[in-house]
Amino acid sequence: MRCFLLLSLALLAACGSPQPPLVATDVEVTPPMLGLQMSAGYLVLTNNTDEPIVIDAVTSPQFGSVELHETTLENGISRMRRIEELVIPANGSVTLERGGKHLMLMRSTGPSEIITLQFLSKGEPVLTIEQLYDRKVN
Amino acid sequence: MGPRHLLIVLALALALVAGVFVALRSQTPATPVAAMLLPQPDPVPEFSLLDQQGNSIDRSVFAGHWNLVFFGFTHCPDICPTTLQVLAAARSKLAEDGQAPLPRIVLVSVDPERDTPEIIGAYVDYFGPGNLGITGSLEEIDRLTSGLGIYYQKQPANGDNYVVDHSAAVLVIDPEGRFSALFSGPHKVESFVHDLPLIIRGDR
Repeated sequence: MRCFLLLSLALLAACGSPQPPLVATDVEVTPPMLGLQMSAGYLVLTNNTDEPIVIDAVTSPQFGSVELHETTLENGISRMRRIEELVIPANGSVTLERGGKHLMLMRSTGPSEIITLQFLSKGEPVLTIEQLYDRKVN
Repeated sequence: MGPRHLLIVLALALALVAGVFVALRSQTPATPVAAMLLPQPDPVPEFSLLDQQGNSIDRSVFAGHWNLVFFGFTHCPDICPTTLQVLAAARSKLAEDGQAPLPRIVLVSVDPERDTPEIIGAYVDYFGPGNLGITGSLEEIDRLTSGLGIYYQKQPANGDNYVVDHSAAVLVIDPEGRFSALFSGPHKVESFVHDLPLIIRGDR
């Protein structure tokens, strides 16, 4: 009986809470401001696998185009540039934040209450998130 | 020494430390932590641009206000709204603290081709009432930016979109229309909340 209990516990630990390979937390996307067709997205991506995950495309039905961008501040000059891919290290995470790496959402397809984002790796979807827009300004 | 004596000694020691702390604090003059003050405030150069209502404005538009001037563009979804949010949050905090006069937030477009008065107006209104948006011809934007030492450079198009590199600084233009202080990025709410009352009071 005791052996059985231990075995059950071990099984539970192993498969009781299967973790998805890629998880998004602290997702923050504001709807495009009045008269504008674009916005930015921020989140933390965590890779629960033992291999790096490379995100090379992001899509959203609420936007005609989504790109990975990075803002840098060097010698007092702000620059924003497209980055081709985002590497989430094995068992690590990458933070997309204000003034750093972020999602650039362009060509809004119209007013919406929700934002859907699909992250792809070599054409294969690896994560889809859907949530209400963040409405607060600060 | 009995426990009572020990307590008295401890209390005295504590009072001494507290006294020294208060004395040190009151003797240190408060100075700006982030802002760089110009030794000699510099009058803003002449220019002829438009405000968000489409009215012609010149440098007299700065008179009578403590202006926090940022150079950016509306098709900039990350650093421009982030900076304006920082300025708006600092202004709210200063209002809470009873600061008077309060600074006015000003956005000068470095992308006047896309930023019409209407667009820049909607954009600055998003961060609260009373903000000023400035746009107009590229030549006149250049007169203002080059006179203030502000850099901006349009970058080659990436598909149907282009970006503009620009100085991250927030300039303080005083009620006499003079460039008097500069905050370099990255910008923090606390820096503005700490430094602006000192700058406005004239503790230079």
